[in-house]
Amino acid sequence: MPEIRVTPLGAGQDVGRSCILVSIAGKNVMLDCGMHMGFSDDRRFPDFSYITRSGRLTDFLDCVIISHFHLDHCGALPYFSEMVGYDGPIYMTQPTQAICPILLEDYRKIAVDKKGEANFFTSQMIKDCMKKVVAVHLHQTVQVDDELEIKAYYAGHVLGAAMFQIKVGSESVVYTGDYNMTPDRHLGAAWIDKCRPNLLITESTYATTIRDSKRCRERDFLKKVLIPVFALGRAQELCILLETFWERMDLKAPIYFSTGLTEKANHYYKLFIPWTNQKIRKTFVQRNMFEFKHIKAFDRAFADSPGPMVVFATPGMLHAGQSLQIFRKWAGNEKNMVIMPGYCVQGTVGHKILSGQRKLEMEGRQVLEVKMQVEYMSFSAHADAKGIMQLVGQAEPENVLLVHGEAKKMEFLKQKIEQEFRVSCYMPANGETVTLPTSPSIPVGVSLGLLKREMAQGLLPDAKKPRLLHGTLIMKDSNFRLVSSEQALKELGLAEHQLRFTCRVHLHDTRKEQETAVRVYSHLKSVLKDHCVQHLPDGSVTVESILIQAAAHSEDPGTKVLLVSWTYQDEELGSYLTSLLKKGLPQAS
Amino acid sequence: MDPECSRLLPALCAVLADPRQPVADDTCLEKLLDWFTTVTAAGSSLLLLQENPCLVELLFRVLKSQDLSSRILSFSLRLAGIFAAQEDCFQYLQQGELLPMLFGEVGPLGGAAWTAPAVRSGWIQGLRTLAQHPSALRFLAACGAVDTIFSLQGDSSLFVASAAGQLLVHILDLAMRGPARGRCSPQACDWPACAQKIVCHIEDSLCSIATPQVTQALNVLTTVFGHCRGLWTQGLWVRLSPLVARLLEKDPVPASHSLVDLLLSVARSSVPSSDRGLWETLAQTLSHLSPTQAGPLALGILKLQDCPQALRTQAFGILLQPLACVLEAAAQAPGPPGLLGGAAGDPMTADTLLCSKSACVGLLCCALTHLGLLQPLPQRPSPWPQAPLLGAAVTVLRLCSGSVAPTSDVGGRLCAILVGCGRVQRAALDFLGALSQGAGPQESVTQVFSVLLEYLMSPESSSMVLKKAFQATLRWLLSSPKTPGCCDLDPRTQLFLRELLPVLQKRLCSPCWEVRDSGLEFLTQMTRHCGGQAGFRQALLASEVPELTKQLLQDPESYVRASAVTATGQLSSWALLAAPASPERPGAQQKSLLVELLHVLCADSEGFPRRAVMQVFTEWLRDGHADVAEDPERFVARVLQAASRDPDWEVRAQGLELALVFLGQLLGPRGSHCPCAVALPETAPPGTLAQALPEAAPPGTLAQALQVLCRVQLFEFAFRALFDCDRPVAQKSCDLLLFLRAKAAPCGSPQEAGDSPNVASVEATLQRWQAGEQGQPLGYLEPGAVMAVLRSIDLEGLRDTLAESSDHVEKSPQSLLQDMLAAVGVLGENEADCY
Repeated sequence: MPEIRVTPLGAGQDVGRSCILVSIAGKNVMLDCGMHMGFSDDRRFPDFSYITRSGRLTDFLDCVIISHFHLDHCGALPYFSEMVGYDGPIYMTQPTQAICPILLEDYRKIAVDKKGEANFFTSQMIKDCMKKVVAVHLHQTVQVDDELEIKAYYAGHVLGAAMFQIKVGSESVVYTGDYNMTPDRHLGAAWIDKCRPNLLITESTYATTIRDSKRCRERDFLKKVLIPVFALGRAQELCILLETFWERMDLKAPIYFSTGLTEKANHYYKLFIPWTNQKIRKTFVQRNMFEFKHIKAFDRAFADSPGPMVVFATPGMLHAGQSLQIFRKWAGNEKNMVIMPGYCVQGTVGHKILSGQRKLEMEGRQVLEVKMQVEYMSFSAHADAKGIMQLVGQAEPENVLLVHGEAKKMEFLKQKIEQEFRVSCYMPANGETVTLPTSPSIPVGVSLGLLKREMAQGLLPDAKKPRLLHGTLIMKDSNFRLVSSEQALKELGLAEHQLRFTCRVHLHDTRKEQETAVRVYSHLKSVLKDHCVQHLPDGSVTVESILIQAAAHSEDPGTKVLLVSWTYQDEELGSYLTSLLKKGLPQAS
Repeated sequence: MDPECSRLLPALCAVLADPRQPVADDTCLEKLLDWFTTVTAAGSSLLLLQENPCLVELLFRVLKSQDLSSRILSFSLRLAGIFAAQEDCFQYLQQGELLPMLFGEVGPLGGAAWTAPAVRSGWIQGLRTLAQHPSALRFLAACGAVDTIFSLQGDSSLFVASAAGQLLVHILDLAMRGPARGRCSPQACDWPACAQKIVCHIEDSLCSIATPQVTQALNVLTTVFGHCRGLWTQGLWVRLSPLVARLLEKDPVPASHSLVDLLLSVARSSVPSSDRGLWETLAQTLSHLSPTQAGPLALGILKLQDCPQALRTQAFGILLQPLACVLEAAAQAPGPPGLLGGAAGDPMTADTLLCSKSACVGLLCCALTHLGLLQPLPQRPSPWPQAPLLGAAVTVLRLCSGSVAPTSDVGGRLCAILVGCGRVQRAALDFLGALSQGAGPQESVTQVFSVLLEYLMSPESSSMVLKKAFQATLRWLLSSPKTPGCCDLDPRTQLFLRELLPVLQKRLCSPCWEVRDSGLEFLTQMTRHCGGQAGFRQALLASEVPELTKQLLQDPESYVRASAVTATGQLSSWALLAAPASPERPGAQQKSLLVELLHVLCADSEGFPRRAVMQVFTEWLRDGHADVAEDPERFVARVLQAASRDPDWEVRAQGLELALVFLGQLLGPRGSHCPCAVALPETAPPGTLAQALPEAAPPGTLAQALQVLCRVQLFEFAFRALFDCDRPVAQKSCDLLLFLRAKAAPCGSPQEAGDSPNVASVEATLQRWQAGEQGQPLGYLEPGAVMAVLRSIDLEGLRDTLAESSDHVEKSPQSLLQDMLAAVGVLGENEADCY
């Protein structure tokens, strides 16, 4: 029985490192290869030893697909390809391919710089890994091999994020990665066509959330502050937000962004303008939204300048580098503010201040008193419960599987999906396998000749009344065709062989064989008036293709054996005749 | 335990046991368990529990709680396991009947919580940690845990199922590890009851008709023979080997991959010394398995240090079969004895190759990879059929490119399957590269060069295939024989080079950045190794490659720019960047490269090219590159100035590396007595200078050297770096200044230093820098002031602080407990929404 198997190694009932194994029609695909920033040992990566116990990864996996550049979706990729040894193809969109190495490099620097880790992937490994990447365009069907094909759909979320359809023959799976069903200031909404996959694997981060209005959140955004961000991603959304606000309110306070990063971001957004939302694309010719008027490159010296300012600095969790340095400088003043726009892992200064800690122990037993205001404003762009339902409605899958969410919230959404769409919904934990039986539909072409012959019989085709059509099925070059037997024989250069059914009927008759045959002939002639019954010179009797021969019984002279044979076309008549003869012949009058 | 942690623990335990409190994320619980593991490894668990009664209380409360989250339950099971690993603590917990309640039928095992894989996993991990002593064994038997573990082997979670298997092995090992169990007989009656039970279960599973059960048994045994060293394993094998051998009688052989793993695991253990029958089983297995299944076993056998020659020959034959079939299929006419001494390829292998594309690709890739792995090993088969293997690799590559058209029916079908297959191309190119380590007949090498050239030229080659083709080419070029009597390339290689360079030129203009980059990496490596060889120099200078490489410094892709920087740096080191300069303007071209690289360093928006420039400059300074040697002082000053402003810490760190090289040249390396007289010094290994203190330099030359260092503003750069927000930079700077101070130690007296007028101002500026205000420059420094400041800074203390990772405070258990407690109540507000 063909089946689709899905095993999350990460993102099964958690929001950690996404890594989902899918086995479809004999092909094995790994969806995302993320890392967990909360760990600094091997636990940060998925346990790849579970992918296969037999043989090399490269031989087992047909490809790896990366949905977007966030580290919880791609952070383990250089480790997987350069240290574990996967040497096969990796698919992602072009923006993801361009931006991925920047974030990987950022993370590598933090691991090496802050934690002094020696056994971490190197810059060269990141580059070698990126060389294995095959970039895909939106809506372009990419043949991974003769049977496996993939197709990317727009997912919103961050620049270059994509949902992927994985298809082998008539079986398909859609993996959403992270997506957003509502457009924001610089990205559009996720979209997929009615592809009716066997399975939709969807993220469920906000499985129980209905988003509040954005306007409400934006009104809060009025202070001059430090905003720790990751180099690329949601930072650009925040930049546009501030830029627009500064423009509207005619504000003069400077906004700074870590040196080099604005240029970098600009470069990529210009390069991948088709991936942004309609408004930005339309106005791009007159004015590039990413060329900010109010946002300038930051210099270390500016942090000491008097007066208000907003600084975007990396990294996003206040765990090292410039953002931490500025934070330490500003923390003591209650007029300052730090805005954390995203999730922070335990151990980082970001996590500490978000949980309300105000006295932080720093290096060398120093205690840093945090007097500045601390705000949390989520700007992450995931679909909420409504959005997820909308996507399920759009794609019309046969089954749904939830990943990238918390178990309790998933449970709620699962019930909702099952009730509303009447499809099965699964939520495997990490390491658990969901197996879905599939019934593959095999398209068969029917020859025109065969159809014409059927039509010639006078019956017009009727969709509501299917009827039997006899023909020969030819399987050639992975194609199936139904043709007439004659055509099949001709095409394949084969001689016709006839298959005959035979049956012996014992009759009590003391007369000679020839006489028995005559009696059979007479009997059938009288019973089967519409059929052509013949008595042949050799003594045998025929009815259409049915042949009846009478013979003496070897042991009992009082019994005659009737040998009846017929072709499969006359099977019905043949069966009828045998049962008739078994009843015996009428007594001679 | 730290008193502060002890103080925080009761509150934390209360929070953990309270189902109304949302718990911190899983990472915190994992880190908490890590911490308890460390604490119990260092001291008595019993004492820990007695001093912190909240811990036992937590376990009791968890058991009583009805609606506790599965992860807290899982955490508690693992925590109990950590404590009970010490026998006295185990007894202590037993007194309270806590362990049966946690791990027995009455515990989570029988409840609704058991449906959560996390709980089952916690149960297994808890028992795995706990099972360290005889009391634990008795406990496992009494609470019927072993039966549960048997059933968990087939768990729906891969993690749980795998952990269950591992636990069985651990229990078996523990049971058999008793003092009187040196040599166990295979008779079950002599074995402890617990071990008997497990072995009987394995026997039953091996006889099962259900493949998953056979797989479980084989996997458990693989771990036993891989990890357990006791003599009892030999007895176990004697007992189980007939059952294992019986699996070979089935068609198809069930769980073949696991069977292969087991047999190799046994072969690597001490069993072969006592059971020669193992070799027989291995031989039988090789002949029973399909070619695809037998490959890994064959490779494993050939890697064994000691095994019968006949078995090795059989195994090698299996690895060679697919390539033998390819050679046979592609042969235009019956040729000389091929891979298998002229014998025909195995029909089963041929069938596998032809039955479907995926089977063919899979088998060929495995064969190529296995042979490639075998090639460099000392125990590889001898004689090694180098020439036929080269022929086979070339044939496979040609079939993939479609450049051979075999006349045979089989050849034609094989060609249709392989043409354009990137996976086989990549595997074959890797294999071809590996074969470069052995010699080959001239004809074969010519074929190799020709097929490599074909691939490098082909528009069909993907970027990954091209990368592999470049790598294989490099390996062949570097291993090619030198002309006798001189160190130049042999004529054939030179001819190949002349054909190769136009191809490289074309590839450097590829629209695909990966290809341009692979081309540049190839050029860099070639130049590094062959830059001095006349043949290479001639061919390269006659081509447009150097000019193109220079143009790639402006490539839109930063990776390519970085590779171009490295390549031009290398070319320039060997004076290969341009046509020989005219006598009127010697070195004019190369000077412009220095300027160009300086421009990259100052202006490139990406870190990779700037880092590459710093590496090139450091190498140039170390090797005495002509342009640098002209005026090293000016060179160093310009580079340091640019590096000090760089936002990338790796560029700044590399700047310190360059400064160290310069210091070495001025003051002499470790052990040198003659500073300033070193024109082209051999340098000390970077990073080791501070640890192994150098000898002091004579005062006169030192004063001059310090003047130079002041002029190039090395001190300003180093002092700024000392307070860098990125730790490796500060660490490197600290090392550099320590080295300098040690060199200059006996020279300057405190009086000299004190006389210097600007010491106070320097110290004030440094204090401001340390506080993060780095706006103000130091200005010109007097050597005396520098030395005084150097003596006044506690460099050793700073070095010790920097040696710790910068998150050591945040990583501390105290920080963890504080974070977990602080997170209570705010979790709902700041929901983890990831990135």
